[in-house]
Amino acid sequence: MAVSGPLALEMAHITKTFPAVRALDDVSFACLRGEVHALCGENGAGKSTLIKILGGAYHPDGGKILLDGRPVAFSHPLAARNAGVSIIHQELSLLPYRTVAENIFLGIEPTRYGMLDRGRMRADSQRLLIRLGASIAPDADVGDLSIAQQQVVEIAKALAIDARILVMDEPTAALERTEAARLLDLVKRLSGEGVTIIYVSHRMPEIQAIADRVTVLKDGRTVMTAPIAEASTAKLVRAMVGRDLADFYPPPAAKPPGAPALTIRGGANGRLAGVDLFVRRGEIVGVAGLEGSGKSELGRAIAGDEPFERGTMEIAGKAGVPRRPREAVEAGIGRLSEDRKREGLLMQQSLRDNAALIQRAFAPSLGPPSAEPMTVGATDDRLRRLDVRAASFEQEARQLSGGNQQKVIVSRWLARDPEVLVFAEPTRGVDVAAKAAIYKIMRDLADRGRAILMISSDLPEIVGVSDRIVVMREGHIAGELPGGAGEEEIMAIAVAHDEPAEAATQ
Amino acid sequence: MSSAAESLPARSQRRSVNAPLLLLVGSVALYIGVALATGQSMMLHVEGIVGLLQRMVGLGIVAVGQTFAILAGSIDLSVANMISVAAVLASFIMQGRPDMMLPAVAAVLAVSAVVGVVNGALISRLQVNPLIATLGVGLVLQGLLSASFTNFAGSVPPEFQAFAYGALGPAPYSVIGLFVLALAASLLLRATKFGAHLYAVGGNAEGARLAGIRTDLVTIGAHVLCSLCAGLTGLYLASRLRSGAPWVGRDGVYDLESIAVVVIGGTLLAGGRGGVWGTLAGVLLFAVLDASFNMLGVSAYSKLVLRGAIVIAAVAAYTFRSRDLVA
Repeated sequence: MAVSGPLALEMAHITKTFPAVRALDDVSFACLRGEVHALCGENGAGKSTLIKILGGAYHPDGGKILLDGRPVAFSHPLAARNAGVSIIHQELSLLPYRTVAENIFLGIEPTRYGMLDRGRMRADSQRLLIRLGASIAPDADVGDLSIAQQQVVEIAKALAIDARILVMDEPTAALERTEAARLLDLVKRLSGEGVTIIYVSHRMPEIQAIADRVTVLKDGRTVMTAPIAEASTAKLVRAMVGRDLADFYPPPAAKPPGAPALTIRGGANGRLAGVDLFVRRGEIVGVAGLEGSGKSELGRAIAGDEPFERGTMEIAGKAGVPRRPREAVEAGIGRLSEDRKREGLLMQQSLRDNAALIQRAFAPSLGPPSAEPMTVGATDDRLRRLDVRAASFEQEARQLSGGNQQKVIVSRWLARDPEVLVFAEPTRGVDVAAKAAIYKIMRDLADRGRAILMISSDLPEIVGVSDRIVVMREGHIAGELPGGAGEEEIMAIAVAHDEPAEAATQ
Repeated sequence: MSSAAESLPARSQRRSVNAPLLLLVGSVALYIGVALATGQSMMLHVEGIVGLLQRMVGLGIVAVGQTFAILAGSIDLSVANMISVAAVLASFIMQGRPDMMLPAVAAVLAVSAVVGVVNGALISRLQVNPLIATLGVGLVLQGLLSASFTNFAGSVPPEFQAFAYGALGPAPYSVIGLFVLALAASLLLRATKFGAHLYAVGGNAEGARLAGIRTDLVTIGAHVLCSLCAGLTGLYLASRLRSGAPWVGRDGVYDLESIAVVVIGGTLLAGGRGGVWGTLAGVLLFAVLDASFNMLGVSAYSKLVLRGAIVIAAVAAYTFRSRDLVA
């Protein structure tokens, strides 16, 4: 493929081996100045290893890195930073209790007479933020900003060191659609200013929208580098997983749904108002809505985490509003949280311990140690049935990929086999192949007569998986659409205003 | 991207209450209230107030140091033992001779700095949990000290006692010293790169490392400051007691009390947020409680009960206040 223009970055024949695995095998990767270069691949394909090498966190075993044609070797993240390479990690590294200006200049604080030059930090931050088109106050505490605003602060942090190469790792993963669109605009603008952007994402529409070229890694090798015009979504998915998109979403429900397993009437609490909803056995109901629409609060309310204060609920034919997570589980509800790390996994414990958690929570305190939740047999069967891939089931949960972590949490619930399962953002941070597997698990559960509620910010997922779609807005259910409805229809309901007067002026 | 204009969410008002100020006002009100209620209005005269402030000095100095350790996301359990070492070392070297004052102070500060480096290096280089590392170092210090000294060792000359007993007009040198130290500490935290990096390491060590901060040096620096403050407290105690004994630090429970006042003062035990003035407000509260119990004639044991309850209540209050932030 002909590459025109000066190369800002060239990583040639990079090899990196870890004790058990060859993470990168002769990977070559080059970026033009000012280009947006998408980097795709499943989890475990080697993307993060490649980025860590570029960022100076790892040393390659072989190969070389050239910046603007000059060979470099980074011994420390600081060296990469000084050379103009800035990496925005998926988990933001901002300090919530410090101000925007303090965060932007972290590690590169300007000083005057040995003292921090706060005036300059503030003024320079203001200048950078204006350049990014954001009206964020430099004196605001970062913890008070939205995730989208925090992303902008991360980018300002990169600009503050005059980054010429900016790596963004799934920057839109936690953003709503409109926020994501704004971020993409920003990425384009930066590339227009000559910043080279390496954009790591699983989201095909985004890649199609902003990338100039795309490189796909698979199993530690480069399998494809092409201009975006020659890389259709179907072709990219095939390169990443080695199969077609058609198999990606599960088939629709095998048979018509049965009786409702969950019914909510007039459910309300501090964040929700007048929620009427039912989910029948055998169906997957997708819940869409913007951030703040109340869709995650709905999941919490159903699972007794932040319970409904008013209204009625009926779970598997029994009336009663669960007041605590334990009551909800006893009534037959399971919930997979959107935040696996904080609310799901015991990171330092084994897969087996994680998979047995719910059962152990409900096991009799003085049961014999040979009883099921304390032994490995049935737990291992469930992990195997879900195709959890790990070196051993004794491995710690934190060492697994997002997809495998999610499967472990599913297997935890399978042991309890609740009537209703709430999946919140089931595939956030999960690679393409594992996504398809998780969808299939959801469909299998529904076909076995379980009621599935899938809360998601990922519209293609809502459209592709749901049998029925409800759209939330301002704490209530604003509309319902049949499965297969278009993304535009969903958005129209999600962004509408409740006051007609306001809508008329738009 | 001009449409990116977003206003801050409403929850930015959450820190409308200033914890140190609230503590200060509360402590002062309690003190005045008890003094008036028990008819001991002389406690409100200059001597009474100076006496109250003087109660703050010992705990105050070491607590300023502990603030650095906790802000960095660490903690120092060796301060009480370090205080004993400093007090004994000072009076042993001085042996009542004024010309040995300078060498003694220099030796104490040097030993303190070394202990701080050891603490910091164990934590940041060898990745030993701070509780364990400093507990271990504290035990080692105490063991060495108790093996070498069993009672008051040596004495300090009258000139050195001026540190504890001398005064500039009505203000004792020791009280002035405490406030100068707090001012310097606050300046270090607020206005220097080291301060900014300290908050960063305590708030998100990995983020700080990726930003290119030498996090190990920051942690070591925080522990050196902490140990130096403990050394200063030891010097102050030697000056006040006119000699040093190997139990002065432990008897003062300076390790746990310094942690308690830092936390009462609003510094997060996890690090990354807080400051020196809150710590001083916490020290004032403890001093006021002491004085109030004396005025009320209540036993020292009920004092302990109340102190414990206050520590718990303060931490619970802070956790409650910041819950929506954490969630």
